[in-house]
Amino acid sequence: METSVRDEILAKLKAAPKAEVPTRPSLPPYKTLSMDREQLIAEFTARLAEEAVVIHRVKDLQEALDRLTLVAVEEGLKKVMTSTDDVISKLDLAAWGQKHGIQVMTPHDFPDRNSYRDAVFDQAQAGITGADFAVAESATIGLIVNKDQARLVSVAPILHIAIVPVDRLVPVYEQAIEKVFGKKREYPSQFVFITGPSMTGDIQGVLFKGMHGPRKVIVILVG
Amino acid sequence: MEIKTDRFTELAKKELQNERSRLFLKLIPPVMKAKRDAGMGSLPDAPAAVACGAAIRAEALARLPELLEEFEKNARANGMKVVWTRDAKEANEFIKNLAQEKGIKYVTKGKSMVTEETALNELLEKEGIEVWETDLGEFIAQQLHRPPFHIVGPAINVPVEEVRDLFIRKIGLKEPTLDPIQLGYAARLFLRDKFHHVQMGITGVNMAVAETGTIINVENEGNIRFTKSSPPVQVSVMSLEKVIPTMKDALHMIRLLCRNCTGQRLSVYISMDSGPKKKDEVDGPEELYLVIVDNGRSKIYQDLKARDALRCIRCGVCLVACPVWRQVGGYAYGWAYSGPMGQVLDPLLLGLEKTQELYRASTLCGACKSFCPVGIDHPSLFLYYRAKDVLGDPEFKSVDRPWAERQFFKMWSWAASTPWAWNMGVRMARPIMNKDAQDGVVRKAKGPFGGWFRTRDIPAMAGDTFHDRWKKIKKERG
Repeated sequence: METSVRDEILAKLKAAPKAEVPTRPSLPPYKTLSMDREQLIAEFTARLAEEAVVIHRVKDLQEALDRLTLVAVEEGLKKVMTSTDDVISKLDLAAWGQKHGIQVMTPHDFPDRNSYRDAVFDQAQAGITGADFAVAESATIGLIVNKDQARLVSVAPILHIAIVPVDRLVPVYEQAIEKVFGKKREYPSQFVFITGPSMTGDIQGVLFKGMHGPRKVIVILVG
Repeated sequence: MEIKTDRFTELAKKELQNERSRLFLKLIPPVMKAKRDAGMGSLPDAPAAVACGAAIRAEALARLPELLEEFEKNARANGMKVVWTRDAKEANEFIKNLAQEKGIKYVTKGKSMVTEETALNELLEKEGIEVWETDLGEFIAQQLHRPPFHIVGPAINVPVEEVRDLFIRKIGLKEPTLDPIQLGYAARLFLRDKFHHVQMGITGVNMAVAETGTIINVENEGNIRFTKSSPPVQVSVMSLEKVIPTMKDALHMIRLLCRNCTGQRLSVYISMDSGPKKKDEVDGPEELYLVIVDNGRSKIYQDLKARDALRCIRCGVCLVACPVWRQVGGYAYGWAYSGPMGQVLDPLLLGLEKTQELYRASTLCGACKSFCPVGIDHPSLFLYYRAKDVLGDPEFKSVDRPWAERQFFKMWSWAASTPWAWNMGVRMARPIMNKDAQDGVVRKAKGPFGGWFRTRDIPAMAGDTFHDRWKKIKKERG
């Protein structure tokens, strides 16, 4: 039955009068495309601040870890959920947690989906992830969902801490998309752009952060 | 939701008495417009960007069947289950059956205009499946049983007092407050529990990319991400015109959509799904169903002119631009789509007979057209619908005009193309018209022309026509 509905709709569309495909005007390049590295970092940082994201810039991973400790104290973190992506795995957060009395969970610690859901919804005070991309155009973070980048870690906890290596900073979205969708048939199940904390203005136009997703996003820019 | 698109005048009159809405409409649209202008200003060449947006949507429509096939092929290869449905009933039935098969007790929903159109919630609830709209505005509108006031802020006009009382009743708000932020957090907590245990999530689709077989959602709150991450079953519903050629095109359209919608460079979350979760992933849907809904669009597509309405990307900028919407708000339009966007879409989706007042409720000022990021010419579509209606085109479910009116215009067209008859007519009409003149102004008329004077007047006509006077002067001067 299904094939017939499909074919019926497509046949109707194909039988319709043909319209010409218009030519597209050329577009000038984005400002960020002509920026050098330091300018890009400045642009990314300035836009992040506009989105009310707290940003820390550190030299290397060791410093990132130290900064994370300070953040954990400031935010009173006792239990966090982290991704196991290539940035986070370099940090050895399990050892870090032990040293500072913070319980560090990962999505793989749970026997099934429901217990993982319970933990990420009810227990994790923060979700800590790396980032696959940072886009200067709008201070956006790009995350490729895969076995080491679970979806709920960056959306369920009230605080999202993203550790972003500076060499992942690109001027515009196109560069990220080319990498993610460059190879046919090897697309991630989901790719997500995150720009600042979750927000809404749905009651009388009053804007506030933290509607369903994180109320606060902290970026630690490394390098 | 009862469709009331045939009662625009009545509903508009009622809304004009709503002081709170009026106050809101005075304050908010200018702010939204300013934000939008600032957002567009951040593009290197905004007019070119709009022209490009129009070209992308025009191309998507010109190549629609081919792009849908390409999209379907890629989406299936990515592991999506693509389901085609002719109309609202088929789409709703499919989703209902799926939910029943899986033993689903409740679903969370991301805001989806097409499921407003198909009235999916009503069917699910009738079958005993709870539906939780999770976009804050949509949640409030759903609980109040109201249509969207604005496409992006469906309940943005609802006074805080009303939201407070609603939340006390429906979600057990413990500490009554008039602070919109505290009310928002109460809704957050309530819906969080729904997200936590949900087994099936339903979303709309902002764009479907043919090149990769990817569907894209644009949002600020995170409710769509929860709906696509937490439950093991995801159903995304899209009307068939949402498809666009490439990922690069999608990025351009997203840049335009976010800026025109809320003035943001980018909405907080842009999530792009190319299939269900992979085996080793811990969350995300095990099954991803994509329901493609026609619901009259393939018929609209047959008409090259009307087809332009399908370019719409639902950004909502035309509402804020429209001098009519800015007076009456969204309820007067009587359905899911309000403002100029609704006025171009509803007559095609529901038929001209059910939308008589809708496409006539326009000054044809063209503000909507001048803001539209995809180049829809709303005023010319309104005129097109009016013409179709008057000509009694059955394809558009037109009403046709009363016999007397048709006869009058037949005579009019004969007279207007017959000089002697016209000249005689304009001479004869003068004394009749001027009969009601006072101080040189005509303010009313009896009979079928009376309505014209409800909001207008006209100077009394001169005794002689210009031609007669000219002749007279020439004669006098010899």
